[in-house]
Amino acid sequence: MKVKILRILLDRWHAVAAWTWDAQDETCGICRMAFDGCCPDCKFPGDDCPLIWGACNHAFHLHCILKWVNSQTPQPHCPMCRREWQFKA
Amino acid sequence: MEDPGILESLGDESIEEILHSWNDFCASTESLLRGTGSDSAIESEFASSVKSLCRHGLCSLVSDHFFQVLEEDFKRNSVFKFWKNFDAYRDFSATGLDELQDWPEKILCKSLEEICTEKLFQEKCLSNLVHALRSREESKGNQKSESEGEILLSRYQLMVSSVLLATLPWHFPEIPRLYFKGKLEELSMTMASEYGDGWDVQFNVKNDLNGNKLSSSFEMDIDGNYQGTNILKNNKLVQNIGDVVRDLRSLGFTSMTEDAYASAIFLLLKNKVCELASDDYRSPVLESIKQWIQAVPLHLLHALIAYLGDSVEYNSVPMSIKSPLASHPSCYTGIDVHSEGLVRWKLRLEYFAYETLQDLRIGKLFDIIVDYPESSPAIEDLKQCLEYTGQHSKLVDSFISALRYRLLTAGASTNDILHQYVSTIKALRTIDPTGVFLEAVGEPIRDYLRGRKDTIKCIVTMLTDGNGGNPSGTGNTADSLLEELNKDAENQDNTDCEDDFISDDKQAWINAECWEPDPVEADPSKGSRNRRKVDILGMMVSIIGSKDQLVNEYRVMLAEKLLNKSDYDIDSEIRTLELLKIHFGESSMQRCEIMLNDLIGSKRTNTNIKASTMRPSQRDVMKEDAVFSLDSVDATIISSNFWPPIQAESLNIPEPVEQLLSDYAKRFHEIKTPRKLLWKKNLGTVKLELQFEDRSLQFTVSPVHAAIIMQFQEQTSWTSKNLAAAIGIPVDTLHRRISFWISKGILVETPGAVANDNNFTLIEELGDANRNGMTSGSCEELLMADEEGEKTVASVEEQLRKEMTVYEKFIVGMLTNFGSMALDRIHNTLKMFCVAELSYDKSLQQLQSFLFELASEEKLEIKDGLYYLKK
Repeated sequence: MKVKILRILLDRWHAVAAWTWDAQDETCGICRMAFDGCCPDCKFPGDDCPLIWGACNHAFHLHCILKWVNSQTPQPHCPMCRREWQFKA
Repeated sequence: MEDPGILESLGDESIEEILHSWNDFCASTESLLRGTGSDSAIESEFASSVKSLCRHGLCSLVSDHFFQVLEEDFKRNSVFKFWKNFDAYRDFSATGLDELQDWPEKILCKSLEEICTEKLFQEKCLSNLVHALRSREESKGNQKSESEGEILLSRYQLMVSSVLLATLPWHFPEIPRLYFKGKLEELSMTMASEYGDGWDVQFNVKNDLNGNKLSSSFEMDIDGNYQGTNILKNNKLVQNIGDVVRDLRSLGFTSMTEDAYASAIFLLLKNKVCELASDDYRSPVLESIKQWIQAVPLHLLHALIAYLGDSVEYNSVPMSIKSPLASHPSCYTGIDVHSEGLVRWKLRLEYFAYETLQDLRIGKLFDIIVDYPESSPAIEDLKQCLEYTGQHSKLVDSFISALRYRLLTAGASTNDILHQYVSTIKALRTIDPTGVFLEAVGEPIRDYLRGRKDTIKCIVTMLTDGNGGNPSGTGNTADSLLEELNKDAENQDNTDCEDDFISDDKQAWINAECWEPDPVEADPSKGSRNRRKVDILGMMVSIIGSKDQLVNEYRVMLAEKLLNKSDYDIDSEIRTLELLKIHFGESSMQRCEIMLNDLIGSKRTNTNIKASTMRPSQRDVMKEDAVFSLDSVDATIISSNFWPPIQAESLNIPEPVEQLLSDYAKRFHEIKTPRKLLWKKNLGTVKLELQFEDRSLQFTVSPVHAAIIMQFQEQTSWTSKNLAAAIGIPVDTLHRRISFWISKGILVETPGAVANDNNFTLIEELGDANRNGMTSGSCEELLMADEEGEKTVASVEEQLRKEMTVYEKFIVGMLTNFGSMALDRIHNTLKMFCVAELSYDKSLQQLQSFLFELASEEKLEIKDGLYYLKK
């Protein structure tokens, strides 16, 4: 009996991927935790513990930098470069 | 002759009289015992001679002489004849017992009767003497004659038994034993046939209600209200036995008799117990044994005691003796009096039954536990037995040796050992809630399991696999552990408040009142506190040593499972995780929770991405009429920091899919800016369908397999080198993976022109046999293929190895300085010096296995437990 594969039909391709924040650095300059992890106050990474970039292009965990900014009066500075802290638009 | 002075005061006349009387006395005694001549004449002559002798103070001489004559006569006539009857037995016992089935019965009864008649006759003669003596005493107005007669009678009794015992042949004790055995068997047969129908009915009653009704009905039987058809026959039987017992007793064989019928009863009981407690462990037997004791041996004993007239010595407070059955007080209702002897017998018999059953069950405990929980009735029986006998240590010893012999061997699979361990824990927990014996029994199993490599893996599988419904093989075990996990969760609240500091004085007092000392066998070096809670999971964890190792292993297995899921259905995993969280604490399961959360997030993201691509501009990927769109792509997006290290392999997946994946990643980036996706292309699952001319086959395979088979769409034959290059994997990996398709009969391997460069061709001819094999392509094949191939997630050992290599330098440095070091010293030194970012947190065992590995790599040497650098 002749059999020939006429075609291969892909039904479903379930792929696996890892997400990354794609920050320049590996770890948060404030809490020293990995960017792709989460800040010490959070349990879940990703949406629950986002990153935020400053105007100076330094990235931190949102929760970390907020704590820092709130503690700095009157004018917060970037912990890395000492420039005035501005959230990147 | 207390006073020699009397002798001197005797005159010739008196001496003459004494001599005359003495001659008369001797002659009349002789004829009295012969039984010759007319009774009354001899008796009066005898009486007068006794009287005259006594008058001269020769009473004791008279009785001494009389006894001497009696003894000689008894020895000569009766005893010799009596023993001669049993000589035949001695000859028989040499040849075999089969021929003397009812021989002891006949001969024993007959000879007993004979000797007892003889004895009765002698007693009658003795009574003549007693009479004569008494009448003299009375004439002197002395009142102590009553007891005088009794003294003489008991003296006679003593004489009889001492004569018999002194001449006792060695084989005689066996005879009453045989006799009782035969009789009892006969009795129990008639009883059994009699109960025949009623037995079953009453058992049913018992099963429906409780044992009280039944027990009391048996009690009534013992009371004599028994209305069987065989009552006469039974009575005759009992009478027969009673006669023999009475005769034997009167001959002074009281203890031997007791011994004989006791041993016969015990033998019967033992056989009965063995018969009832067969190898079926699914039904309780203790109750029926107790009933049988009530029905047969106690019934007999009651009748016997009543017949012998012993039961007059009623115990005014029968309840004061605690019977093992006293837990059912109603057993005694309706019985006003219970002879103490009967209660004693009952206690003895029950204790014996308990002990026999216990020994039987202990001997088979290993098998019983294998069948657990089906065998729980047997365990329940054993528990009750042990409560009365208290021979727990017997259980421990015999069970441990059974374990060593049957379970803790190289041939037993770790899964089986663990299963048996869990069953053992459960069964022994029933028997002994304090866990003392469990501790003793569990220790060898734990020790053994620690030496096995796959123990952790098996335990984790048992913990997690139950609900996922893997219908084959280990499902049973897993269920039991998972169920345990559930139970543990339910009890958590209670134990929590138990563990807490007890602030309430009242509660403290109540707790103090509940305190019970540990059994004496308890190991005092171990605190009793941890003994209180027999916790299966805790015991499983204690095998491994620390919960961290277990959690780690679980994480790896969970990762493996999640990565191979093609849908996002993780309900069962969530449930298991919640249970594990309760037991091991939230923080240690944190990473696993993140992994599950990733799956949930992936599902959401996946839907979002699909929704956003549902635009008309959507670009269908057309390939040979195959429509494959972004719709067919799903993704599991993981937070790689929290997953176990994943083995990334390069893989060139088919172009269209590659396109779709980058589309997918783009969409993800749009939705979740600034996050990006990094594809792990070798992971995941692919469902595909191979369409042939006449039929189609569905497969669920890994991306590598899919990539391989897709290459054959364009070209039906590949050399392995070219194929490997096209897919972007090493040749040896290709060989391993492609075997899946070869085994399915889709591809065929032919040796190529160059060595190690085989040809793979799409098969064109297909035999019928192959076709059958082909039709059953399914996902379990995938699992099999995956087991053969490498795991996607690095195993715990590999992770550990990687982590430990950091310390290799330290260890080598240490050994260079110190020359040789013991394991603990290396461990402690590492702990002391590695504190900074390389903080050393491994266990002693982990260090040991690492050092072993170093030794096997010939970097270290081990001698007498000391480690050296290899020179």
